Amino acid sequence: PSPPASSQDVKRKAAREVIDILHEIATLLNTHLDRQQLSYCVSLIENGANPEALANVIRKLRSEYDASSGEGEAE
Amino acid sequence: MATYNKERVEHALNELLVRILPEDPNDEDEVANERFDEAFEYAIEELETAGDPSVVPDINHVASLIDKRVSRDVNGAQKSARFHNLLSRLISQPVLNQKWRMLHFLNQLSELPQAEHAETRDAARMPITPTKHAHTNPLPTGSPAFKDAFSRPGLSHIPVNDGSPKPSPRPAPAEPADKRRDRRATDASKEQSAEAAPPEPTYLLLGPSEPALLRDLPFTLQGISSTNLIFPSSTALKLPPTLPVPLISLLHTLAEPSLLYRGLSDFVESTEGGLVGQSFRSALGMELRSYLGLVATLEGQIKRALQQLDESQTHHGLGKAGVTLKRCVIWTREATMGLRLMSLMVEESKTKKGGELISLIHSFSLSHGDPYVGAFAERLLAHVTRPFYDMLRQWIYDGELADPFGEFFVSEQSEAEIFEANNGKEGKGGATSVWEDKYKLSTNMIPTIITEDFARKVFLIGKSLNFIRYGCGDAAWVDTYSRSASKELRYGDTANLEQSIGDAYKTTMARLIDLMEKKFHLFEHLQALKSYLLLGSGDFIAVLMESLSSTLDRPANTQYRHTLTAQLEHAVRNSNAQFDSPDVLRRLDSRMLELSHGEIGWDVFTLEYKIDAPVDVIVTTFGSKQYLKVFNFLWRVKRVEFALSSTWRRCMTGARGVLGTVSDVFGSDWKKARCAISEMIHFVNQLQYYILFEVIESSWNELQSSLRKPESTLDDLITAHARYLTNITRKGLLGSSGADFTGQLHELLKTMLGFREAVDGLYGCSVAEFTRRQEVAAKIETRTAAGRWGVEEKDAESASPDPFSSTGKAKGKHRSTPSATSSPFPPALMPLNLPNNPLSSSNQLDILPALRKRLASLLTDFRARVNVLLGDLAHQPDVDMRWLAMVMNFNDVYQPVRRRRKAAPGTKGKDAGREREKETPAPQTAPGTAAAAKG
Repeated sequence: PSPPASSQDVKRKAAREVIDILHEIATLLNTHLDRQQLSYCVSLIENGANPEALANVIRKLRSEYDASSGEGEAE
Repeated sequence: MATYNKERVEHALNELLVRILPEDPNDEDEVANERFDEAFEYAIEELETAGDPSVVPDINHVASLIDKRVSRDVNGAQKSARFHNLLSRLISQPVLNQKWRMLHFLNQLSELPQAEHAETRDAARMPITPTKHAHTNPLPTGSPAFKDAFSRPGLSHIPVNDGSPKPSPRPAPAEPADKRRDRRATDASKEQSAEAAPPEPTYLLLGPSEPALLRDLPFTLQGISSTNLIFPSSTALKLPPTLPVPLISLLHTLAEPSLLYRGLSDFVESTEGGLVGQSFRSALGMELRSYLGLVATLEGQIKRALQQLDESQTHHGLGKAGVTLKRCVIWTREATMGLRLMSLMVEESKTKKGGELISLIHSFSLSHGDPYVGAFAERLLAHVTRPFYDMLRQWIYDGELADPFGEFFVSEQSEAEIFEANNGKEGKGGATSVWEDKYKLSTNMIPTIITEDFARKVFLIGKSLNFIRYGCGDAAWVDTYSRSASKELRYGDTANLEQSIGDAYKTTMARLIDLMEKKFHLFEHLQALKSYLLLGSGDFIAVLMESLSSTLDRPANTQYRHTLTAQLEHAVRNSNAQFDSPDVLRRLDSRMLELSHGEIGWDVFTLEYKIDAPVDVIVTTFGSKQYLKVFNFLWRVKRVEFALSSTWRRCMTGARGVLGTVSDVFGSDWKKARCAISEMIHFVNQLQYYILFEVIESSWNELQSSLRKPESTLDDLITAHARYLTNITRKGLLGSSGADFTGQLHELLKTMLGFREAVDGLYGCSVAEFTRRQEVAAKIETRTAAGRWGVEEKDAESASPDPFSSTGKAKGKHRSTPSATSSPFPPALMPLNLPNNPLSSSNQLDILPALRKRLASLLTDFRARVNVLLGDLAHQPDVDMRWLAMVMNFNDVYQPVRRRRKAAPGTKGKDAGREREKETPAPQTAPGTAAAAKG
């Protein structure tokens, strides 16, 4: 529905779609990541972060803050 | 590998953290900031220190990892499908460079349960939970990196649990490889973790543990039911169903010796079967006992090992203690082979006993390729053959058969069997029966440890010993011999055994022959048989014949035994027979055969020589009958000879006297008669000579030589004697071979006797004529002296005393009957075949033509028969018979005829034969005269 897609649009569109897909996968895998977080993760990893390390970090932080605050994460 | 773009990373991280870290409205900004900074620092550090991801940079691999993970979940299949869908869409997107990293990240972040990572696991179950969390890993070497280094790439991420209950690396601890000892702990831990891996809901029971099985093993190996391994029957073992498959296979291997042992111990306990069977059982029992020894050692080992069990280690540290099921399998392997062999033997031996059983075991030791089997069988053999050798020893040295179960190859025959063996005829009586029939050799019971030749020798030895003991009554010798010579026989001592057997053989045989000769005078008896029954001692026979001849001419029913015996005694006393041993003379007897109507004494008289045991083993009853047959024949021939020669004597002496005066009437007759008689005498003499010297003497020499052979056994003697008799009967023209010699000869003899009687008639005729003439002459003289005419007419009509008295055909020609006539000359007989016996006082000259005719016909008959006989003789295969034919016809006076039909043969030369006469060349090289060809 958008006007003739420039490469940017295409890119954006593709990106959005990828994010969608990844989000679905993430949901399947029960990662408790929302879209925002996921997009940032994507960019992190695309920029060279070690995915395992990143996952560790996230997990650690989660557990820390879960344990301490007892609150569930945001979505 | 993506480049680490620090700036962007930091920025993104910032944003991310903002969102991740929960916002606490209660916190102050500072604290929150602090937390934020802390987190940030940590994150940066983490990201910078982390190396490469540990996953193969392959999206498919990662995808499959994820897939597996996803399908673990509740709606596994559905989710998996969805994931695949998404994946394909993702891959088709051009955006991300390294999708795999993303996926990997997501995978890592995933909170779905994963096989190896047991964070959500019940920690109490297994001591070790190797996880990604470094701090929860108690093992020193349990860091993920290390762990992963040992596993195959990706192994740790693959759920090991594939549904089977067996912990697959389990046999590894049992491997005795030394080089893995140091890694044992790691392996153990790894495998234990692997073991921990299977999700419990599906496989809780692993069956009895290995230590429990090991504890039961010694009982199982002995065939006793235990807690876990039960023997529901004697041929089955029940394994617990919940064991993992390798354990089951090990237990199968261990079940084999157990079941075999059970079967074998049952067999060994049973008591049927003969002596050899029992020794077989005991030998097996010994082997089983050694097997039990092995089981006991095994049990000791197991006990020690079980005591050392460490609960804390994997498999309770069983591997370290050194005794496992697999080890037991290896230890019992050789014993299993032995048990297998034994059960095979037991199976095959079910139908066999005695010698056959020994052969069976021997075949194992001989021809089997496996040296283990051979050695085993040899061991058994030494044991099993002991009762056999005992029996053998007793048989060889005592002649006694001690075989309660019928296992020896010599067996005693019962009456029924003997009966059967003789095809329903009665067994040969007396000692022959003991020798021939009492024992029999059954070749199929001869064990293969001794050869058949050997077995025959053994058979002979035992038989001889038995015979000596019972037949010859020489038990004393047997006892002393057995005491002195008996020694123990053993298996494996072949040279010694052969030596013993050889010695025993020689001794026994020599003793037997010796006994026969000395104690029972075998040779003397044979000699006596020959001289009496086979007319060997001529003087005795001559005297006997002379004294008996008058008696025997009378009818058979007037003969009395006592007269015959008296004559016999008389003969014995007056000949060389009186010098024979009294034992021999005792056995000599005269007897009368069965009478039938019309027989004269000659037909029923016979001599007899009594033979008793044990000599009758050699001279069997059949042999005695043959002797009698020959005697009968020879006696007849002798009689004819006697008759003819006495006639000849009369003729000769009379020719000088009486007959000379009547030669005008009877001259030509007498000439013919003399020729004929000499012909017949020649024939009879040749025949007798042939039989007595060519046949009997030569066979006798053969017999002697074979009897005196040094190595002869009793069997040899028997066969030699039998051959001797057959030779005599066959060559002596008594055999029932093609041409019926016996019949021909009988006819010939009858013809001769008839001729002789005719000659006697002629003689009587001549004498009567002579008498008449004399009387006439005397009358003439007296008358002349009285002054009257010498011859008057009425003289011619006067009846002269009838010289002929009719006598029945049955009366034998005889001289000693006192006659009623006063004439010094006994009445001559009438020619035999004149149907009417005219008692008329016809002139004797009337008889003469008939007499002449009779003489002529008898002569031609005789000659014809001789031709036939000669023809037959010449075609015999035996050289002696051909010699007889030759010698009878030495001047070719006869033309031998080959008889084609039973019709009367053609006459000699004069008439054209009605039949064909075939020329049979005389055996001499003299040119044979050509017979008249068929016209």
